[in-house]
Amino acid sequence: MQTLQTLNVNGRQYTVAIDDSDTLVDVLRDKLRLTGAKKGCGQGDCGACTVLIDDKAVNSCLVLASTVNGKAITTIEGLDTNGELTALQKSFVNEGGMQCGFCTPGMVMSATALLRQNPEPADEEIKEALVGNLCRCTGYTGIMRAVQNYGKYSGSESQTGESNQGGVGVSIPRVDAADKVTGRATYTADIYLPNMVHGKLLGSPIAHGLIKKLDVSRAKALPGVLAVLTGADVTDTKHGVSPARYDEDVLAKDKVRHVGDPIAAVAAIDEETAEQALALIEVEFEELPVLLDPMDAIADGAPLIHEKYKNNINTVVDQDFGDIEKALAESHYVREEVFTGNNVYQSPLEPHASIATWEHDGTLVLYTSTQVLPYVQYMMAHVLHIPLGQIRVIRPTVGGGFGAKAATSPLDICSALLSKVTGRPVKMVYSRDEMFKYGRGRHKQHMKLKVGLDEDGTIRAVDSEIYLDGGAYSSFGVATAYYAGAMMPTLYHIPNYRYRGFRVMTNKPACGAMRGHGVPQPRFAFECLLNMAADELGIDPVELRRRNAMTPNTMTVNDLDIGSCEFTATLDTVAEESSWDKKYGKLEKGKGIGIGCGGFVSGAGYCIYRGQVQLSHEKPREPFQKKSIFPHANSVVKVSEDGMAVVLMIGAAEIGQGSDTVLVQMCAEAMGIPASRVRIRSEDSDISPLDLGSYSSRVTFMAGHAVARAGTEVVGKMKPYAAKILECDEADIEVKDAKMFIKGDPSRNVPWEEAARQYFNANGPLVGTGWYKPPEGLGGDYKGATVGTSPAYSFGSSVCEVSVDLETGKVDIEKFTDYHDCGTPINPQAANGQVEGAIVMGAGETIMEGVEFDEQGQLLNPSLKGYLTMTIKDAPEIFSGFVDSYEPRGPFGAKEIGEGSTLPVLGAVAHAIANATGVWVKDLPITPEKILKAMQEKEEAGPAPETPKTDEKQAALT
Amino acid sequence: MHISALELHAATSYEDAAELLSRFSPDVRLLAGGTDVLVDLKNNGNGVSHLVTLERIDAMHGITEEADGLRIGALTTITELDESPLISGGYEIIRDAASQMATRQIRNTATIGGNIAGANPCADLPPVLIVLGAIAVVFSKQGPRELPLQDLITGPRETILAQDELLASIVVRRPPARFGAAYARFGLRKGNSIAVATAAASLILDNDGAVHDVHIALGAVAPKPVEVDAAKLWLEGRKLNGDSFDEVARAAMEAAQPISDLRGSAEYRRELVGVLTRRALQAAEQRAQG
Repeated sequence: MQTLQTLNVNGRQYTVAIDDSDTLVDVLRDKLRLTGAKKGCGQGDCGACTVLIDDKAVNSCLVLASTVNGKAITTIEGLDTNGELTALQKSFVNEGGMQCGFCTPGMVMSATALLRQNPEPADEEIKEALVGNLCRCTGYTGIMRAVQNYGKYSGSESQTGESNQGGVGVSIPRVDAADKVTGRATYTADIYLPNMVHGKLLGSPIAHGLIKKLDVSRAKALPGVLAVLTGADVTDTKHGVSPARYDEDVLAKDKVRHVGDPIAAVAAIDEETAEQALALIEVEFEELPVLLDPMDAIADGAPLIHEKYKNNINTVVDQDFGDIEKALAESHYVREEVFTGNNVYQSPLEPHASIATWEHDGTLVLYTSTQVLPYVQYMMAHVLHIPLGQIRVIRPTVGGGFGAKAATSPLDICSALLSKVTGRPVKMVYSRDEMFKYGRGRHKQHMKLKVGLDEDGTIRAVDSEIYLDGGAYSSFGVATAYYAGAMMPTLYHIPNYRYRGFRVMTNKPACGAMRGHGVPQPRFAFECLLNMAADELGIDPVELRRRNAMTPNTMTVNDLDIGSCEFTATLDTVAEESSWDKKYGKLEKGKGIGIGCGGFVSGAGYCIYRGQVQLSHEKPREPFQKKSIFPHANSVVKVSEDGMAVVLMIGAAEIGQGSDTVLVQMCAEAMGIPASRVRIRSEDSDISPLDLGSYSSRVTFMAGHAVARAGTEVVGKMKPYAAKILECDEADIEVKDAKMFIKGDPSRNVPWEEAARQYFNANGPLVGTGWYKPPEGLGGDYKGATVGTSPAYSFGSSVCEVSVDLETGKVDIEKFTDYHDCGTPINPQAANGQVEGAIVMGAGETIMEGVEFDEQGQLLNPSLKGYLTMTIKDAPEIFSGFVDSYEPRGPFGAKEIGEGSTLPVLGAVAHAIANATGVWVKDLPITPEKILKAMQEKEEAGPAPETPKTDEKQAALT
Repeated sequence: MHISALELHAATSYEDAAELLSRFSPDVRLLAGGTDVLVDLKNNGNGVSHLVTLERIDAMHGITEEADGLRIGALTTITELDESPLISGGYEIIRDAASQMATRQIRNTATIGGNIAGANPCADLPPVLIVLGAIAVVFSKQGPRELPLQDLITGPRETILAQDELLASIVVRRPPARFGAAYARFGLRKGNSIAVATAAASLILDNDGAVHDVHIALGAVAPKPVEVDAAKLWLEGRKLNGDSFDEVARAAMEAAQPISDLRGSAEYRRELVGVLTRRALQAAEQRAQG
């Protein structure tokens, strides 16, 4: 029933028509357009929609709007006073309290409720107040800091942290921080275009089957439904990520391959009507056997999920470097172990969303929460059969990706198709459940690893055999299968190395690229293996690593070109800062300490699509050449006519990691002006030139080069005008602090803006361009040699400290100490934020995360209640630091940090747990139940149980 | 998913609520805090056409101290339980549970009535209230009646309540001297976790250190909260020590009828029951000692 009601929101009375079934969050967003309250799950699990009702924090998704009239509702939009942020908001801005920002409004509201009740909360009280607000980016470290220190920012004399003057190496606040902390930041789902309608996808209810009947007539007849599309209505062109393996239909043609596989797309006047229409679509299937285990799927006679993949294997890697058999035979110590990973899901707080609209000239405008704007353009051109240039992609603020948004989604394609047939803008947003069913999370890897060592611990050989559970489509999986092997020899000197990888199709949502792409699980396995070997050889695990650590300027056995490398420094520092020598082997049972290491590429050396930027899908792919045909990062810098502002244009994808901020800093540094004078426009393909986006940890390095070069070009154009004013030689002009001056005599200077104006008066627009291509000739000449290539590599070491409840197996991850070699950190606070977030994500991945399936392939936990990520109470205390390092190939000496910071974490946690309990659990996640079981098995098998509670437990077991 | 169209009815008295329930039954549900019901309506395509809200029934709100104990209105929120000064002494076990349930946001809206009448096997409050000997006061068109709380819940999401009946309040008698009660729970993360297994225990300690009138109730390990009667009888008049803990843990593990699911296997849950029962008893004894 609909009634007119008056809601008191932020002190203003709104009279609004409300249906009895409307939730408060929907009324706030859809009717009042107060979009600060975010919809992250709709189930009360994430807290992103938190608002205050009579000063109490509540989930506005679990409140019916018509039950709150007469109460005072406060949203994030109601906190500031005439634009003046609250002390807490300022603290979030300055203390690094956010990254993607999607959880931020809810987090700030929960913290505001706490502080109104308790202005000086203890740490435990802060955590209890924020336990219902999930964050996937920050590791909660910056959030804790922000709430603890908010008092610093109260009053008019409040500190504003480090000034915005900073160039490279300074922790300026994020350029988007104020927008994110006030609810002004606009994510795709926050956009409401005139005349817009809503789309939804019908996902397959079964995991494997042939569509025998599909009747959409009842759905079409539902009032408010504008269009229904099925496989019969859409192109036969398949899409995907790896050009050799396009295997996804826009909508299922004849077959469904996993639960959630899209079958039909509906557009309706609102989302609710679209949902109702889905329920009216009738589908009948001939069910096929469901394959969930890659070992079953590769068996002869198993049904084929795709006809073209024999034995359901879609990628085979076979790489052999050196003489593995001989080296193993000659090794003093050989150990082989089997490890199993888990199917973890990125779970960014912002659900995927797309809005498509066609302009009258035939241009498609697509707003999408993507991390790879040009790949979306490319794939949309391919599947829609229109030139790439006819597609304008706009990337509004993105609420986290971690790889989940690295491919063109069915929402991108179907919103465009529905918009075409309805002639209206179409918005499509995944529910949390649909996100899990779309998938693209981490492959579950079944790994057999063998290592051969000399007596002194020198690694002689590594042999790795891995089966990757790929799910139903290729997605990024071909690259994943290669990455799972390629990065192994980059951390330690490994003279003989063999890798055999098999990516197998199963009837699960497709796996894709997740933070650390293919590498974290093999790295976890190898770090565990190394720690087992260290104990057996009687060598300290840190020392064993030192003896094998990668050194600068090394060509690895698989032809990867390592430049700068301060891995040993990270080991030494982390051992010292964590008091490793005083703790390892000396803690009481139940307490443990462990080490893990890792590193990653600073951007992939080669682009996913080869040759030039394709005109359309009809143009054949060009043969591979061992160089980049086109620049991977491109930037234009435009100076305003008065010289006071710079617009930095580059299509790099800010997805929360801080790329906009570090690019502004590098551009400002190159131009000798404060960062506060630079505005970045990275969100629109019509404005910003191509940058391949946020994957393979490439942005700081590659886009950084492009923006620095563009800035430098501008300065070069200005110099003659400064020289003329200062009556000196152009070559003697230097630039710093917004002044152009004569080298060695800064007092003889001209304001930067004056030189810029002079240039404009004489030449018109003052612009500079810059671009970056990875070096030519990267990688070897074997099959798959391109994967793992990069202009630079990062390194890091983590020490984890845990306590384990020996009666229940429950793990408390107490502390992390991490040192990284990321070259020069451009913004140390942002770089630490990457490490802090990676530690909490990685630790959660190690002990609690994983998508689970029943025997029919139904997801058992497609929600943030069922799929556990760490809360603020679970997050450890984290100390993150950097060792001195400079990468000559990087911009200002910088390398990556975003993904490399994940890699040491899993092994460190597993080692600490083994150290605390005396047992190794080799399949992820390492749950309390598995730990307890392993301890009991050891007790039953072994002679000398040490557990103090042995008697009681034995009694309890009998 | 959105909640499908429905009509809200604001009951103003118990009689009114009973009448509305009776009128629309079975196409109706009660709405208290909504944190459970609304999730259910969103996820279940076949919702109900009517919701009866209870907020305007004043008597259902808040905690009052009566001559022989506490009366807790069914609409009392979990936060109110957590913060009320009346929840002290022997009642502290209620805070053990309330303070760690779900999240702050959920606790601010979720109610004690919903936690009980929702009859979710892993609900935190029922085992706690059972060991306190709580009485449920329910109301129908025939008027009020009282029953022991453990008789209210009959199975997963099932109660003894008739179609037109609602849970109005909970009465918890004042604990005697030297009474102690405590709650132990196991979840898979430190915050916002669904209970994998729980144990609540209460006892009275005599001057010799022996325990009397022991109650143990388990949650999340059976279709409804389980009372460990064997332990109760066996422990009467004994002292808590290694042997008796073992005996009680064994009895509790036998009483549990756990299932295997995502959060843990039946075997693991059984083991947790043993550990949690001992921990709850120990903590209860400590409280009884004052």
